[in-house]
Amino acid sequence: MTTTPQELKDRIEASIPGARAEVTGDGRHFNAIVSAPAFRGMSRIAQHRLIYDVFGTDVGEDIHALSIQTMPSEEP
Amino acid sequence: MTEETSNPIREAIKSAIDENPVLLFMKGTPEAPGCGFSARVSAILESLDQPFAAVDILPDPRIRQELSALSNWPTIPQLFVDGELVGGCDIVSEMYQSGELQQALGLEGSADEADQEPEAETVQSAPLSIENRL
Repeated sequence: MTTTPQELKDRIEASIPGARAEVTGDGRHFNAIVSAPAFRGMSRIAQHRLIYDVFGTDVGEDIHALSIQTMPSEEP
Repeated sequence: MTEETSNPIREAIKSAIDENPVLLFMKGTPEAPGCGFSARVSAILESLDQPFAAVDILPDPRIRQELSALSNWPTIPQLFVDGELVGGCDIVSEMYQSGELQQALGLEGSADEADQEPEAETVQSAPLSIENRL
């Protein structure tokens, strides 16, 4: 079972309120650019943890590598 | 949650983090990285002439399990500075480009010292082999 970038995008946007995600990838290695109001005031570590938390143990398994770029966004 | 009172791997990881001001957990070694992400972080530190200690997590899968449980960070590499997780490849690369990494490492003035000899051995040999402590 392969994972699609769309699936990752949907999971991120469903889990983090107000998040907008752009995800690219080959089914194993993914790049995610995510903006969300929740990131404001958070350290980068905390922002990335929020995204890793969406996927739990899938990172390292189905999602072999997930490269993340985060940016805070205005409240929608 | 499992019993964690006597967990030699976790204890070894903790002391490594405490004892090494700049510590990189990576796949492979700085000389022979086992993954592109680990290679990139190691290369960034070397390009800054930043001495660092490195732990190869590959020899025993429990190292990675315990490290991730301890740091609450699922991926490798992981860079620790002064006992704190700074980040993995993405964050370290971003911080390197913005100059924040140099700041975090206390290297702000290094651009002015560009003519210093970079030939010194900057990579310490691995300070510990966690797998040997089992």
